[in-house]
Amino acid sequence: MANQFSSNGAPPTGGPAPGARSPVRGTAGDDPFSLLGLAPAYDVDLAALERAFFERSKQVHPDRVAGAPAAERVAQLSRARALNDAYQLIKRPVARAEYLLARAGVTIGDNERLDPTFLMEILELREELAEARAAGATELVATLQGAMQARRIQALEALPPLFAAGDLAAIKDRLILLRYVNRYLEECDAALDEDRDEDGRPRC
Amino acid sequence: MQIAEPGESKAKEACKLRVVGIDLGTTNSLVAHVADATPEVIGGDGGPLVPSVVHYAADGGVIVGRPAQARAIDAPHDTLASVKRLIGRGAKDLAGVRAMLPYELVGDDRAIRIRVAPGRLVSPVEVSAEILRELKARAEAALGGPVEGAVITVPAYFDDAQRQATRDAGRLAGLEVMRLVAEPTAAAVAYGLDRGQVGTYAVFDLGGGTFDVSILKLVDGVFEVKATGGDSALGGDDLDRLIAMKLVPAVGELDRATVGAAVAEARRVKEALTGDAEAVYRLALPCPETEPGVVHKSQPGATTCSWCAGGAPRSVIEHRVTRDDLVRIAQPLLERCGKACRRVLKDAELTKDALDGVILVGGSTRSPVVRDYVAKLFEREPLRDLDPEQVVALGAAVQADVLAGGRQDVTLLDVVPLSLGIEMMGGVVEKLIHRNTTIPTGATQTFTTYADNQTGFDIHVLQGERETADTCRSLARFVLRGVPPMVAGMGRVEITFLIDADGLLKVMAKELTTGKEASIEVKPSYGLSDEEVEQMLIDSFEHAEDDLARRNLAIERVEAERILAATRTAFAGDAALLDDDVRAAGEAAMRELEAAMAGSDHLAVRARIEALDVATKPFAQRRMNRAVAAQLHGVSLDDAARKVGA
Repeated sequence: MANQFSSNGAPPTGGPAPGARSPVRGTAGDDPFSLLGLAPAYDVDLAALERAFFERSKQVHPDRVAGAPAAERVAQLSRARALNDAYQLIKRPVARAEYLLARAGVTIGDNERLDPTFLMEILELREELAEARAAGATELVATLQGAMQARRIQALEALPPLFAAGDLAAIKDRLILLRYVNRYLEECDAALDEDRDEDGRPRC
Repeated sequence: MQIAEPGESKAKEACKLRVVGIDLGTTNSLVAHVADATPEVIGGDGGPLVPSVVHYAADGGVIVGRPAQARAIDAPHDTLASVKRLIGRGAKDLAGVRAMLPYELVGDDRAIRIRVAPGRLVSPVEVSAEILRELKARAEAALGGPVEGAVITVPAYFDDAQRQATRDAGRLAGLEVMRLVAEPTAAAVAYGLDRGQVGTYAVFDLGGGTFDVSILKLVDGVFEVKATGGDSALGGDDLDRLIAMKLVPAVGELDRATVGAAVAEARRVKEALTGDAEAVYRLALPCPETEPGVVHKSQPGATTCSWCAGGAPRSVIEHRVTRDDLVRIAQPLLERCGKACRRVLKDAELTKDALDGVILVGGSTRSPVVRDYVAKLFEREPLRDLDPEQVVALGAAVQADVLAGGRQDVTLLDVVPLSLGIEMMGGVVEKLIHRNTTIPTGATQTFTTYADNQTGFDIHVLQGERETADTCRSLARFVLRGVPPMVAGMGRVEITFLIDADGLLKVMAKELTTGKEASIEVKPSYGLSDEEVEQMLIDSFEHAEDDLARRNLAIERVEAERILAATRTAFAGDAALLDDDVRAAGEAAMRELEAAMAGSDHLAVRARIEALDVATKPFAQRRMNRAVAAQLHGVSLDDAARKVGA
């Protein structure tokens, strides 16, 4: 596919390559915190967040305007979308932290430098995971996943005091680290899913 | 819950739209509606369940439901069951089940068709539309007017292609599809409203051909799906096939009709084991003499021989099957359900003790084997106080009522079941929307050119959890051209995914240096194109009257055949009770009925059936009297009933 001149002389096209990831992955233009009636802060009472989400969902759900003219239904659909996306963003600690950091003017690029000690360590861990995966050593994958989950929790627990102190540089370092951690955890999930597929059919 | 004044409710009822909820199942389908704020199923001949079976007769007529099921034995190739397993699927997806289907599939990876009489090819969308038409007609008869809208349920784990295809089937049946709702979500709505349940529940939904498990939170009229998972190709049908494969040696090598009979017998045994501790599996194989190519290895002690009606030797397979045997056979399937359950709990970030209950849905959960497994898995007795076969339709009816402007105190927050993304250079999938994201939702991400002077982007939209494009489901492809020649990495495209309240996807791409845009309503590669659906709709309008007449004729003919056969048997068996006048009148009526059957007027056939009934009434009366007399003389009621029964 791609990248070759095709016989009919059409110009070359190609698959997209990874580009800049916008800090806000949803389509919500508005401030997600204000959509849920909350002050923008890292500390969030999750039960209160859920209550606020449910209350607002009752108002902006597409079902409320099912019989209305098309324009009103389209508008409601984007309101519901914005609310759902805002909830997803605030609910997840990493997304929430990245959003707040971007609000403060600090963005995380795709080629950010990582603490060299951690970089070495994660490279080794990835290698170990790749080997375990190739060998079908499910238990080892699960152990590696467990260890990485512990690191994730550790990194997340460091965030609230950093936000309280307004130490944006340190928050950024943690978030870069968390990107690597999350990608590693996704790989663990994929490896464990492969195991699941062997006795059945492929999932997709 | 609000309780309206009775008068007010009547007035509201009168100006409300006539809307229904439809559970379009693999094995059975049914329709429900809301009357006086309470959902109820709409009944019909033989109860509310309509078997999801469509028979295509040689004369072009189409029969749906129970009468179609009756034709499965003599016309297996033209009688389509479990077509939900095929909807929105390509040939590649179906490689596994193809050998065990009694009918012939043709097609490619894009779409498949089924060959039926008379030399006609039908798509699974069209077959599903026939079932929906039947349900629509039922609802219209019961509600006294045209159905103005419907909510149709789909397995939560249905992907975009399967959802699109289901929506197309609704359109084709002339239904205004107001919303597609996930089956476990609909079931939770019915439970939540009926039982006033509040808390976090797992819904375990094992139907004829699909398995879903969803975790929902129910609070104050809001039904939030936390996570959903399952397998859209796992159900009671698979267990039937497993049983047949276990008990009938080399079943895959037998002819289609025998395979159909082997699987049907497996289902009967499975159902018998719901109530009984053991059952006997019995299957007559075709005569080996007439099929020299087929060798039947008989298992010592298990296979006995008898004689078939024609006198030719015929081997009969007989097995005693206990509930423990069924547990053993079902184990691999149940394990697959168990894995999906563990995964969905993990996705919802919950442990099983955090659940307030487990709700059973789907006909297959009637089996004690399945119930025991679920109880063990979740370490609690599952809830099954609402009929597991009706609960989905009831919930769908509530949702239809909500959308028609009825009750407004119910809000469903459903999720996208499988991640959505695009293929990157090198075949890796970048996910834009992750599974279990609440819908409607959207996501935007920017990508760059991979090569120098790349002038376009190939956008390949995929659905699934795996990391590479070839292992996920391809939903659509399109090209965005007109990128000005630049160094690699400089050209940028912004891709936006939007998912609506039905879980259907729209993709937009925008080249950022020039502002050039392309967008696509994702019409999955596996479904029918809009043009194809339009054409079918036009065809169906043009032939609507013909179709209806043909359909009625086909139904009356089946009924006529049944009555003729029964009458002949009774005449032969009880000649002593038949006086000459009645015999002559009966035979004349039978000849007239046969003549009407050869014609094309269904009303004439119906009239002749009734005439035959009148002509044979004295005879039927005498047989009844004799049966009663026999009963008084100590003959068992069973024997007497058998003599009376036609």
